[in-house]
Amino acid sequence: MKMQLNGIGKKAIALLLAVFLCLGLTPSALAFCGFFVAQIDANLFNEASQVIIVRDGDRTVLTMANDYQGAAEDFALVVPVPVLLEEDQVNVGDPAVLQRLDEYSAPRLVEYFDSNPCHPPRPRAAPMPAPAMMEMDAGAVAESDRSLGVTIEAEFSVGEYDILILSAQESTGLETWLRQNNYRIPTGASAVLQPYIRQNFKFFVAKVNLEEFKAGESQNLRPLMMAYESPRFMLPIRLGMLNAQGEQDLIIYLITRNGQVELTNYRTVKIPSEFDVPEFVQDEFPDFYQAAFQKAYERERKEVGFLEYAWDMSWCDPCAANPLTPDELRKAGVFWLGETSANQRRPNPPGGGAVDAFITRLHVRYGRDRFPEDLAFQTTGNRQIFQGRYIIRRPYRGEMKCDAAADYRAQVRDRQEREANQLVSVTGWSKTDVFRKIDWFTEPSQPRPWWRNLWDRR
Amino acid sequence: MVKDARIAQIGFLLLFLLLGLSSRDWTIRPELLATVGISCLGTQWLTRNLIPRWRGQGAGPWWGVPGWQSAVITALGLCLLLRGNHAGTMALAGSGAIASKSLFRIQDKHFFNPANFGIILALVLTPDAWVSPGQWGTQAWYFLLFIAAGGIVLRWVGRWDTSMVFLGTYGALEAIRTVLLGWTVDVYFHKLMSGSLLLFALFMVTDPRSIPNAKQARWIWAGAIAWLTFLLQEQLFISTGMFWALFFLAPLTPLLDFLWSAPRFTWQSLGRGFSLKPLN
Repeated sequence: MKMQLNGIGKKAIALLLAVFLCLGLTPSALAFCGFFVAQIDANLFNEASQVIIVRDGDRTVLTMANDYQGAAEDFALVVPVPVLLEEDQVNVGDPAVLQRLDEYSAPRLVEYFDSNPCHPPRPRAAPMPAPAMMEMDAGAVAESDRSLGVTIEAEFSVGEYDILILSAQESTGLETWLRQNNYRIPTGASAVLQPYIRQNFKFFVAKVNLEEFKAGESQNLRPLMMAYESPRFMLPIRLGMLNAQGEQDLIIYLITRNGQVELTNYRTVKIPSEFDVPEFVQDEFPDFYQAAFQKAYERERKEVGFLEYAWDMSWCDPCAANPLTPDELRKAGVFWLGETSANQRRPNPPGGGAVDAFITRLHVRYGRDRFPEDLAFQTTGNRQIFQGRYIIRRPYRGEMKCDAAADYRAQVRDRQEREANQLVSVTGWSKTDVFRKIDWFTEPSQPRPWWRNLWDRR
Repeated sequence: MVKDARIAQIGFLLLFLLLGLSSRDWTIRPELLATVGISCLGTQWLTRNLIPRWRGQGAGPWWGVPGWQSAVITALGLCLLLRGNHAGTMALAGSGAIASKSLFRIQDKHFFNPANFGIILALVLTPDAWVSPGQWGTQAWYFLLFIAAGGIVLRWVGRWDTSMVFLGTYGALEAIRTVLLGWTVDVYFHKLMSGSLLLFALFMVTDPRSIPNAKQARWIWAGAIAWLTFLLQEQLFISTGMFWALFFLAPLTPLLDFLWSAPRFTWQSLGRGFSLKPLN
């Protein structure tokens, strides 16, 4: 498990931004703001794969993060692709962009501070400021291969990878070919390869070119990117289930011009969000989110994809990280920025500002029994925004000398109890533990006898 | 005792809508649902009361909405299926759906399924409309509920055969595809257990007023829609293929009615044994 949040600079920017946003808000709008304090990152989930899919019409740019941890010479990747890819359609990506996307879209924790009940602040009535804009700077075929029915359609090197694009006639031939060429593929692969072959999929096979890798500056393998046109808007997951034990986590960042992306052959469900949590959750935020996710996953019978974030990429509120710059978006595969062709629907405003990209972050935890089909998606016109956001409300702990203080204390006690019960129901944590960890505002006292109300005594 | 099959259908559709809203994580805005309801009933009133009255054919009170049951069924169908960002989109779908019954008529019978027509209209003419085929998931509980509810209504109106031919043909085509491609059987069942597919088969393809009258004609028609749905979904990868298939093949209804003549369906004909007022 890895936490990479509390970089002081990042936190400071986020805080400044949150302050800037809050100052201009009317009290009723405060619910949509807050001080950003923490986020989770995709590395939290063991073996979470990350994929970026950028799509407009049939044009698709697929980026697969490489989280491979073993020796580079043992690395191999086989991905079914719907079209025949040529050399210039494949590229290596920048791992930093994936991390940026992750940070930007991750579930987040925000905090508010109660004001002194004895000196309530005057309501602010300034109009809501414009959304926070970040700076927007701008072959040869061997005889044996033929007998196996496997054709090497293309063979090239990109960055530290040697790539083969294979087509095959029979899955057993492909399995044999892969074994003969020292790809360690799991048993039973041919049964899963067969449907792809019969649908005329090609196979994208990548290995690490050790000389290039050692000569390169990067210590880690970079993401692989491919650009193609296909009416199929899908992600093959069946092959990946062969060699994995149990459930796997997949985080998919889908970027379109229109709006949200949803699954068409599974339900897309929002993760539980927008509720108050006890103060101690700040120290245990990753554990909290994991528990909440697992609970939601089980409640939905382990057969849905979860929506973790949906937002117009021009802004964020509160920002877990700054929105991606146009340059970073291009690195993520957003190909229409700066496009001036006739088919452009919404022109990009000059000098930065709104950027024509909408992100959907889906988190799919899948196992073989509940996810028999590959993931199929569709782009919708849905531009509703959504984020995983959890709120800490800090009680005012300073000196209070007024009649309102007693009421305030009682309110905060009630609030803390509500937060505790909600936390227990969302995470499944033990009630005793949760109640023990809470810094109760006033010492738990005996219930107020009913007759005191009758006599109107304090 | 419910005396009109349409009232039973309204009850079931309402139940599905409430179930979807409460347990399927749908984020439907109430004002959009209201827009659909008002536009459907308003257009029904316009086309069935005001315009006939203006032509001197009207009867009954000026505020009456003749055939309101059909308009409510269409509105509920749209609420269950169509999603959009703006009220204008939903109003276009609602009023277009009802207006299609008056605009596209051959021999005094409309041939587009109104809700389906409204959906296609919104998908084609607006940028923000969509349909979510995955919204029901594939849970067995819903499968049984839809089958049971659909069974009651369809037995009543005598169109059970149409659903069966549609599902049978589609299921057979998917089975052939699964075998040919070598997918495992759970892939097949996952496809067929889709709640959206079932709702379409039981509540949309079977609208007795717009589909062919004769049994043989209905079988050919339902089979053709299943085949086109399969083609659009599996060959052209259009996830909303079933709605397009019904839209494109709906104009075949008058032709099939011409080839196989049979008494036209009326809701009143179901009321034998009950005392029913004429509704439309």
